[in-house]
Amino acid sequence: MNYILRRIGFYLVAAWASLTLNFFLPRLMPGDPGDAIMARMQGRLTPETVDAMRQAYGLSDDPVIVQYLRYLGNLAQGQLGVSISAFPSPVTDIIFQGLVWTVLLGTTATVISFAIGSVLGMTGAWKRGSKVDSVMPPLVIFVGSFPYFWLATVALFYLSFQWGVFPLRHAYNDTLSPAFSLEFLLSVLYHLFLPALTIIVVSIGGWLLGMRNTMISTLAEDYVTMAEAKGLPQRRVMFQYAARNALLPNMTAFGMSLGFILGGALFTEVVFAYPGLGYQLITAVRALDYPLMQGLFLMITFAVLIANLIVDLLYVRMDPRVRAS
Amino acid sequence: MSSNQTLVEADIPVAPVPEERVTSVGKPRRASNFVTLILQNRKAAVGAVILLLFAIMAIFAPVLAPYDPTDYVGRARQAPSSEFWFGTTGSGQDVLSQTIYGARISLGTGLLVGLLTTVLGALVGMSAGYFRGRVDDILSLITNVVLIIPSIPLLIVLAAFLPAGFWTIVAVLTLTGWSWGARVLRSQTLTLREKDFVASAVVSGERSMRIVFREILPNMTSIVVAGMFGAINYAIGAQAGLEFLGLGNPSNISWGTNLYWAQNNAGLLTGAWWTILPSGVCIALVAFSFALINYAIDEVTNPRLRSQRQTVEILKQYDRRMRSSRATPVIRGAVEA
Amino acid sequence: MLTHQSIHDVIQDFEQGKIDRRALMRRAAALGVSGTALAAMLGVGAVPMRTVAAAAAQDDTAGLLTTNNEQQGTWIRNFNPLLPENASCRWPTLHGIYESLGVWNAATAELVPRLASEWAFSADNLTLTFTLRDGVTWSDGTPFTANDVAFTWKLFKENDALPGNGARVVIDRIDAIEATNDTTVAFTFNEVYTIGLYDVAGQVIVPEHIWKDVADPVTEVNENPVGTGPFTEVARFENQIWELHANPNYWDEGKPAIKGLRLPAFPSNDAINLATINGELDWTANFIPDIESTFVAKDPENFHYWFPPLGSDVMLYLNTTMAPFDNVDVRKAISMALNREQMCDIAMFGYTHPADATGLSDAYASVKDETAAKAEWVTFNVDKANEMLDAAGLTKDGDVRKTADGKAMEYELNVVSGWSDWVQSCDIMARNLADVGIKVTVKPYDQTTWQTRVQNGDFTMSIGWSSGGPTVVNYYRGVMSSITWNEIGTSSSENWHRFKSEEADKLLTEFASTSDEAEQKQVAVKLQQLFADQAPAVPLFPGPQWGEFVTTRFEGFPSEDNPYAVLSTYDNTRGIVLTTVTPKGA
Repeated sequence: MNYILRRIGFYLVAAWASLTLNFFLPRLMPGDPGDAIMARMQGRLTPETVDAMRQAYGLSDDPVIVQYLRYLGNLAQGQLGVSISAFPSPVTDIIFQGLVWTVLLGTTATVISFAIGSVLGMTGAWKRGSKVDSVMPPLVIFVGSFPYFWLATVALFYLSFQWGVFPLRHAYNDTLSPAFSLEFLLSVLYHLFLPALTIIVVSIGGWLLGMRNTMISTLAEDYVTMAEAKGLPQRRVMFQYAARNALLPNMTAFGMSLGFILGGALFTEVVFAYPGLGYQLITAVRALDYPLMQGLFLMITFAVLIANLIVDLLYVRMDPRVRAS
Repeated sequence: MSSNQTLVEADIPVAPVPEERVTSVGKPRRASNFVTLILQNRKAAVGAVILLLFAIMAIFAPVLAPYDPTDYVGRARQAPSSEFWFGTTGSGQDVLSQTIYGARISLGTGLLVGLLTTVLGALVGMSAGYFRGRVDDILSLITNVVLIIPSIPLLIVLAAFLPAGFWTIVAVLTLTGWSWGARVLRSQTLTLREKDFVASAVVSGERSMRIVFREILPNMTSIVVAGMFGAINYAIGAQAGLEFLGLGNPSNISWGTNLYWAQNNAGLLTGAWWTILPSGVCIALVAFSFALINYAIDEVTNPRLRSQRQTVEILKQYDRRMRSSRATPVIRGAVEA
Repeated sequence: MLTHQSIHDVIQDFEQGKIDRRALMRRAAALGVSGTALAAMLGVGAVPMRTVAAAAAQDDTAGLLTTNNEQQGTWIRNFNPLLPENASCRWPTLHGIYESLGVWNAATAELVPRLASEWAFSADNLTLTFTLRDGVTWSDGTPFTANDVAFTWKLFKENDALPGNGARVVIDRIDAIEATNDTTVAFTFNEVYTIGLYDVAGQVIVPEHIWKDVADPVTEVNENPVGTGPFTEVARFENQIWELHANPNYWDEGKPAIKGLRLPAFPSNDAINLATINGELDWTANFIPDIESTFVAKDPENFHYWFPPLGSDVMLYLNTTMAPFDNVDVRKAISMALNREQMCDIAMFGYTHPADATGLSDAYASVKDETAAKAEWVTFNVDKANEMLDAAGLTKDGDVRKTADGKAMEYELNVVSGWSDWVQSCDIMARNLADVGIKVTVKPYDQTTWQTRVQNGDFTMSIGWSSGGPTVVNYYRGVMSSITWNEIGTSSSENWHRFKSEEADKLLTEFASTSDEAEQKQVAVKLQQLFADQAPAVPLFPGPQWGEFVTTRFEGFPSEDNPYAVLSTYDNTRGIVLTTVTPKGA
């Protein structure tokens, strides 16, 4: 119990630190959203109009500390404010638009990558020294070594543009509207395929190697030798004794990476023109859109924190040693 | 940058670091032995050779490059020929020279960031692990907070606001990249601190700093080195990613900016694949070789992996008569050997 | 959409009563035949056809013109035309949904009547009266009157934070706006300012009967717009695509000839380029490198582009408050060291040509003074540049020159990061200037940072845009007048290099105080001579106006052969283009 309280304390501090960083970071830099508006209007506004707009957009000249307290107060009430770059749309509206797609893409890719990587790692460890085991690790390391944006750009160009196997952009066919129809769902899957595939290809290596290593360690445990000596079926030894235990440490990593989904698919979304949160973040940064940046960071950080918390709680359940300390 | 590479790296710290790595080490090991040991591994040797080639390329760039990489030396978008081995860019610069010169900033950033993050991570992690108590509480908190802040969005925010250039990228990548190493080294230090040789050093009245650097650090060589290589890889990939997004200084020549310009000049659309290929493959090869060496370090220093490998080596002599798909290797009819 | 039915089968089905008109239109469109063409073949009346087409469009994308202007990851529903387009409201809220009294057409150099049919200044040039077009109604059927115009301007008087698209810059010069009757509206200026005509005419008008109930026009999102423009019906709005269909009550009888617009969201330039080259966009305006081989070559029959250098000049700004850039000879010498041909060739892919010494782009061809344009200081001449720098006392010490106080001539050249054509131009300039002993480092900044720096005068050298518009005043006011001049440290939206000249002020006032075109032209010539003499800033090349179109489905776009408007989705003439294009073969 004490452990959980300590962890929750840590999460509160971490959330606060991240929100604070997010508040001060953009404000330390030269310029403010007003300057950004002026920049995008390429000087077609006079400084006086921009000042009037600053006021209308709620950018006050109050001391930073006052603004900071107000920001925390608004957050506590669940108010993320109004976007400046897409004035006057509420930040929550903008985030909600992209959230669904980012979560869909990120979850699909992470789950599949983890599943395939773990199975391959498990098999590799089981069949140590076999052809598959000696070829697979260097191969996945090699493929995973390519810069992601490079791989994604090249894949999009050849597979989608040159050969037309996959769609060029978006989360579903433009001629369809979201609906619970088979046609729409198939279209979503079709559009999801290539972006998810590129993520899987570069991330699978990590899961494979992690699983292979823990599996090899587990196979050397006495209880596995014991199980084998008792003459249990090989399948049972492999799955019930070795793989199950080897999976534990990787599960925690998996939980964590589910938390990183929101911030992680940024390059994918930009390259594949996938309508998620990634592009919103770049726009917000470029436009110095404080409220939108803060809102996005809030979502991203909280996703990570919640994933961490769940992992922690699971750990307490699964590992008695942690409970004891 | 491989976003997921970063993800995976960031995740791992939650998984407990196998303690076997340290338990197997009794007394400080000599660094040169360690290097020899690693290089005996074939994967590591391949990685080291590739790296060496790139290092030579970077150091001797002015000698090796046929042209000034910024100069407009010919017609734009010429396919590879005897005059321009790798062809010309969308604006008529020599791709080969740009690729050779690109190694300088790309590797330089990678090495510098790798070194800085490792030093920073080691300082924070080892202090936390050695001093424990209040110091540990505070340092761990900072480490965990930095670890949990999503690094890619933070990279973009920082890179957008600071003036574009080499040092900005180094600073940004160092600030976002040290925490993982710190966390691993902290837990290693915590474990090592309980070992007899540390206890005897404490008893014999050695200063804390000496214990940390002379007794504990050498016992973590493999982890520090592996962490550094990981950080170098992360830095090279992340730098290329930032530059590709236009957040670097495009007037510098690096693999990332080469790709940025290739993309800007529609390298693929115009069929000029030679502007896209070399820098991408170079980044991949460097990352690959570091990863190979890391893989080898893992094989050599993780006793379970090492013994498994030795078993496989021995079993190979028995002409495939082993049943490989078993938890415990079994050799049938192996008497004749 | 592929169907194996031939057009004859479809028509037969229709004639035999198997399918209704709506289905006929749909299937015809699926076969690539426009509704109007089919209507002509069948002798079906043109009037009901448009309603049929609008109905059929619900489930049919054929017949919609796919176009694009903004880079957005996801669409956000906002059609408030008084807020900045792209940032806040969706393109084409201006000149698509809402219209202005007139539109400046840079391609023909004339002010084209839209909601107003004519206008005139009073004898004292203080009152500007617009006569409104007859028979204009809002898309909800309410008649459009002079009260709507007066009301729109009242909104600007009452809300300082409304940027608008013209009103804001002249409103302080206007004392009164009065709807004298239903079809005339008079603007009374507080001083003679005849060039205010363009700003007044350009401001889009919103309907009083809707907007009088809007609580705060600054935060209004206007989700369901009521406008006078050719396209007013938001048929569909999703985060990755939206459709804007034709206004059934548009005043220009028989227009628009197209059913509507389809607007997919593209988050990056690359995504737009892929779609353009794929032929998916009927009309777009983006920079495509090496366009002949990447785009046109794919289908020379149907893929076209037109990049007229009508945008204002891209300039090299030297901070004239700093020595030695306060010396006109130094500025001219630096200009002569620059290889503009190379910049145009390499950085601009040959899409434009070197600037002349007037600083004016091709949009001002009709008023250009040939003598001023040919001034020597814009020609590439390294020897002469060296000579002039020597003469200015900037002596060479090794590779780098030194100023009078012994400081090495080493400067940073600011540029917007990610604007690759500019970055490359700067790289070329840095190489050029190294040849005359000036060491220049290219410094890219994020756009906002860059903008803040130039506006505050916090720079030594910077590349940058210049102002353009209907008259030369728009340009010269921004490069050499005290109106736009501010102290270093005070933000200034133009005149970043801090240059002012009394002579220029006098000429600019003179220009704005007459409505006689011949007189204005004489003043314009004097302004050009003054610029060529003083070299306040260094013009590099006129900016091309990007524009690409595909004639597979639609035709009648402006082009070099038929320059009736600017082929750019960014240009105000977009409304003219969209009401001129027709489905192919119609």
